Amino acid sequence: MALFSVSKTAFLLAFLSLRTYQSEVLSEPLPWAPESLKVSVNTTSQSLHLQWTVHNLAHHQEFRMVFQIEISRIKTSNVIWVENYTTTVKWNQVLHWSWESKLPLECAKHFIRMRSAVDAAKTPGPRVWSSWSSWEEADVQNSLGQDLLFVFPKDKLVEEGSNVTICYVSKSHQNNISCYLEGVRMQGEQLDPNVSVFNLNHVAFIRETGTNIYCKPGQGDGIKGTVLFVSKVLQEPKDFSCETQDLMTLNCTWDPGSDTGLLKQLSQSYTLFESFSGKKILCKHKSWCLWQVAPESQDMYNFTLTAENYLRKRSVHLLFHLTHRVHPMAPFNVLFKNVNATSATMTWKVHAIGKYYTLLCQVELYGEGKVTQHNVSVKVDGVHLFSGLEPDTEYLAQVRCANGDHFWKWSEWTHQNFTTVEAAPSEAPDVWRNVKIVQGRCVVTLFWKPLSKLQAHGKILFYNIVIEYLDRTSGSEVLSIPAPASGTELPLNQCSSQIRITASNSVGTSPASVLVVSREPGNEEVEEERVKGTEDGFPLSWNPQPRHVTGYLVEWCEQPRDPPCDLQWKNLGPNVTSTVVSSDAFRPGVRYNFRIYGISTERVPCLLARKTGYSQELAPSDNPQVVMTNLTSHSFTLSWKNYSTESQPSFIQGYHVYLKSKAGRCHSGSEKAVLSDDAVCCKYKIDNPEQKTFVVENLQPESFYEFLVTPYTSVGEGPHDAFAKVTTPDEYSPTLIRILLPTVFCILLIMITCYLKSQWMKEKCYPDIPDPYKSSVLSLIKSKENPHLTIMNIKDCVPDSIEVLNKQEGTRKSFTETESTKPTYLYLLPTEKRYSSPGPCICFENFTYNQAASDSASCGHVPAPPKAPPSQLGLLTSPENLLKALEKNYMNSLGEIPAGETSLNYVSQLASPMSGDMSNLPKNPPEPALCSEYKMQMAIPLGLASPPSSGSSSLSSITLLDEGERYH
Amino acid sequence: SPGAPISPAEPISQAYSLALYMQKNTSALLHTYLQHQGSPFSDPGFSAPELQLSSLPPAAVSFKTWHALDDGERLSHAQGAFLALTQHLQLVGDDQRDLNPGSPILLSQLGAARLRAQGLLGNMAAIMTALGLPIPPEEDTLGVVPFGASAFERKCRGYVVTREYGHWTDRAVRDLALLKAKYPG
Repeated sequence: MALFSVSKTAFLLAFLSLRTYQSEVLSEPLPWAPESLKVSVNTTSQSLHLQWTVHNLAHHQEFRMVFQIEISRIKTSNVIWVENYTTTVKWNQVLHWSWESKLPLECAKHFIRMRSAVDAAKTPGPRVWSSWSSWEEADVQNSLGQDLLFVFPKDKLVEEGSNVTICYVSKSHQNNISCYLEGVRMQGEQLDPNVSVFNLNHVAFIRETGTNIYCKPGQGDGIKGTVLFVSKVLQEPKDFSCETQDLMTLNCTWDPGSDTGLLKQLSQSYTLFESFSGKKILCKHKSWCLWQVAPESQDMYNFTLTAENYLRKRSVHLLFHLTHRVHPMAPFNVLFKNVNATSATMTWKVHAIGKYYTLLCQVELYGEGKVTQHNVSVKVDGVHLFSGLEPDTEYLAQVRCANGDHFWKWSEWTHQNFTTVEAAPSEAPDVWRNVKIVQGRCVVTLFWKPLSKLQAHGKILFYNIVIEYLDRTSGSEVLSIPAPASGTELPLNQCSSQIRITASNSVGTSPASVLVVSREPGNEEVEEERVKGTEDGFPLSWNPQPRHVTGYLVEWCEQPRDPPCDLQWKNLGPNVTSTVVSSDAFRPGVRYNFRIYGISTERVPCLLARKTGYSQELAPSDNPQVVMTNLTSHSFTLSWKNYSTESQPSFIQGYHVYLKSKAGRCHSGSEKAVLSDDAVCCKYKIDNPEQKTFVVENLQPESFYEFLVTPYTSVGEGPHDAFAKVTTPDEYSPTLIRILLPTVFCILLIMITCYLKSQWMKEKCYPDIPDPYKSSVLSLIKSKENPHLTIMNIKDCVPDSIEVLNKQEGTRKSFTETESTKPTYLYLLPTEKRYSSPGPCICFENFTYNQAASDSASCGHVPAPPKAPPSQLGLLTSPENLLKALEKNYMNSLGEIPAGETSLNYVSQLASPMSGDMSNLPKNPPEPALCSEYKMQMAIPLGLASPPSSGSSSLSSITLLDEGERYH
Repeated sequence: SPGAPISPAEPISQAYSLALYMQKNTSALLHTYLQHQGSPFSDPGFSAPELQLSSLPPAAVSFKTWHALDDGERLSHAQGAFLALTQHLQLVGDDQRDLNPGSPILLSQLGAARLRAQGLLGNMAAIMTALGLPIPPEEDTLGVVPFGASAFERKCRGYVVTREYGHWTDRAVRDLALLKAKYPG
């Protein structure tokens, strides 16, 4: 290879020397060789700058010459660039040439030489070259400095997407240097032992502050790097356009695209150049520029907009006629004059454009949902008349203008509202009536529909009603109903009358609606027909009237279930015999009734047809309330008289009576039916919806039945939910009842009679025993005032005791301890101490002689009050009853008596308290002397009388007096 | 020495407080600075201790050497370093206004650091006056600034300055702590 290159060089040299020899031989020797070649390096622009002169050029001589320049890298033999530079050379001229290196010039030595030739393009024949200059060396590595590592190029500015070559120069003979782009290691190639080169293709924009590239040796000695500034590519301005509003100033606008500003580079600048005038301005803004128009001097403009940054320039052009780019300002001063009910005049002003231009203005009017558009030519003032407007309506008018001679763009709209004035209503109100006879007087209820906005022509203030009585004797009445009423009720003096209704607004009155009221109710016997509703409504049709009618009218209630039924009506022409009534208010399962009237020429309505129907029939939701009567052992009767067939959600066609029985047999007249719950029953069918009773027969006595009555309709039956239950009686029970009932009644009658006459009966059967205290004898005794007589005083009594022996108790307690919860002894006298202190006393009274009880004996407290029931006394006659009464009394007075067998012992006060069981007798035994009046005492076994506990109930003594002792 | 104030404790205390306050913000300044310079500076754990500036004396010193210094020498070193730091912080602020014009946080932190360094310088001068030490004359430590420094070089320069600012602040805290112990208030 080396041998080949050496031989090639030798061949070239031989060839060149031959050419030189030829030129020397054939013509004069070539005098214009380049000399004084100097090479300088600009590292910022990575360029080599050459300058040289041409030797022996005669004064005023001028040649067109070709300089062939060779550049080698690292060594002279490594030629990397050959270029022919052609230029005209003058005497004594210093020639310049620059070459930009892709590789940073710090990365390698460069060698440059050149030779020259006269440009022989005009003269045929081979070119005769001068000899080569000597190689000039461009080496900046020597001037790098003391550092050991360098990275080049420094702070390079490139466009996004371009290719960049980076290199490092190391002086430390280390070859394990790694380089990174934003932290990513780069793969390079070694240029020479100390220099490596990295080729970056299509560099991307990362950030405005640049992209860091750095290298660091394997160990120590810091990092070195450079910042690559990648700019976005400058774009051509888009949508460049110029226009004027007033022929004074042009406003040029464009879309600048992305900003190419960087740390190393300002954002792109824009200049506007106009070629006809040669004027140029630097735009202050990135997207628009103002150009002052010289008045009336120039019509055509040819603009060049140039965007420029450090790396690139881009231009766009625009050629136009000034008057073709007029974008007028929005019109102003929009006013309305002569606004009346149906027309208005709009005026506006425009900003003048020059002296001779007319503007085309577009006027739009919005109102009542419509838009109308008109074009008007305008110099300075615009006028337009709007006609055919609706009264009392708000309109929006707007206007915009453009150059009428050469349309470019419309101006902005200018809006203004106006409202037309009111006019008299154009239509008579739509009126209908309902006539009732109340107490012999006709009362007519008028209904009317509010006039639509188009008919009302303003705000309706009131409705006028004029009633003219047809017999012309009663005169007429005039009423005024303020809006927004939609009806009124009028009692008429007499039925035959004509009613005229008009609506009034602030301007005038509408035409009148006329209704004629007559007493005759019309053809009320018209048969009702059923009509089937559809989704679209109720299709109604009727026969045309032979008489002349001015029209027909259909009326119905939209809320038939509610009392104010919301009467609706529909007017139809005289030639119409069918219509479809539809309403959003129609609901399924609601029955609607329609009446169709023919309106005669005299304005008298005549009922023609009645229709009824459902918009959609629904199955009945309820069953009738059934009453069962006449229950016998073989039959019963069902009745549902209260069931209204009219108010059901569908037309009732009849009823089904279901009967469930255990037998499961169905008699004639019924059929077997299986219900939804698989129950089997007999079904009786009633075809007549007005038949509301049914007798269920052929039943078994003493059997259980369940029955249900449900209506059936074209859309189904009522619910099968609640079966009523019944059990048939046995066959004989009715007979039995026939005997038993009178018997019971008789007994009851006797009992009531007995009760009512009980007083009489008692007096007859067992009269009352007289009360001694109420006896007249007492008054006689009192009058004698004999202290020694009669009833024993309690103070004088020597108390005896009745010992109650509780056989279950082992211990016995004294009478003083009777307040304890379980007294063994009953203390027969009051427990108060004042009674115990003198010694309690007990009197035994022979009830047989109780009538003669005396008041002188204070111990004779038979507290039988006069009002004691005689029956009690009567009962006490039995010794057993006496004891019971006694026990009861003690229970009342002492709280309780110990349970168990109890007996009473009588203990005489004269007996020794120490004897026998009596060791625990009262501590203060009564003084025997105190009861001196006690003559004889007798013990009674168990037969004790009890005083009633009324009155002085605390006194629980029992007085048992011998009759002989009381009357001594 | 004649004219020396009686107690240097107060300027020492003031300087110590300021140095402690500065110490709290030095790592934040370095972090903010590195985050704005891009890779490799903003890489986590970035450190290049071999990068130095000839115009800025390094704070690193062996403990023995540091301990052997007398008060005057210690204050004089710190005084010289913070004088250089104020000038370098000004330079770095200018560089970053160029390189990172859209980063007001970084610029304000650099400005604040420079003002605090100047404040500490003033405090140190007060201490030296109080101790009767000669105040070294203000000198132009930066000398001829290489204005043609590349962007990468300027980024490195700023890194060294903000790093050394932290180191010198740490050292100043130690210096002043020692002085504070010596001259209790």
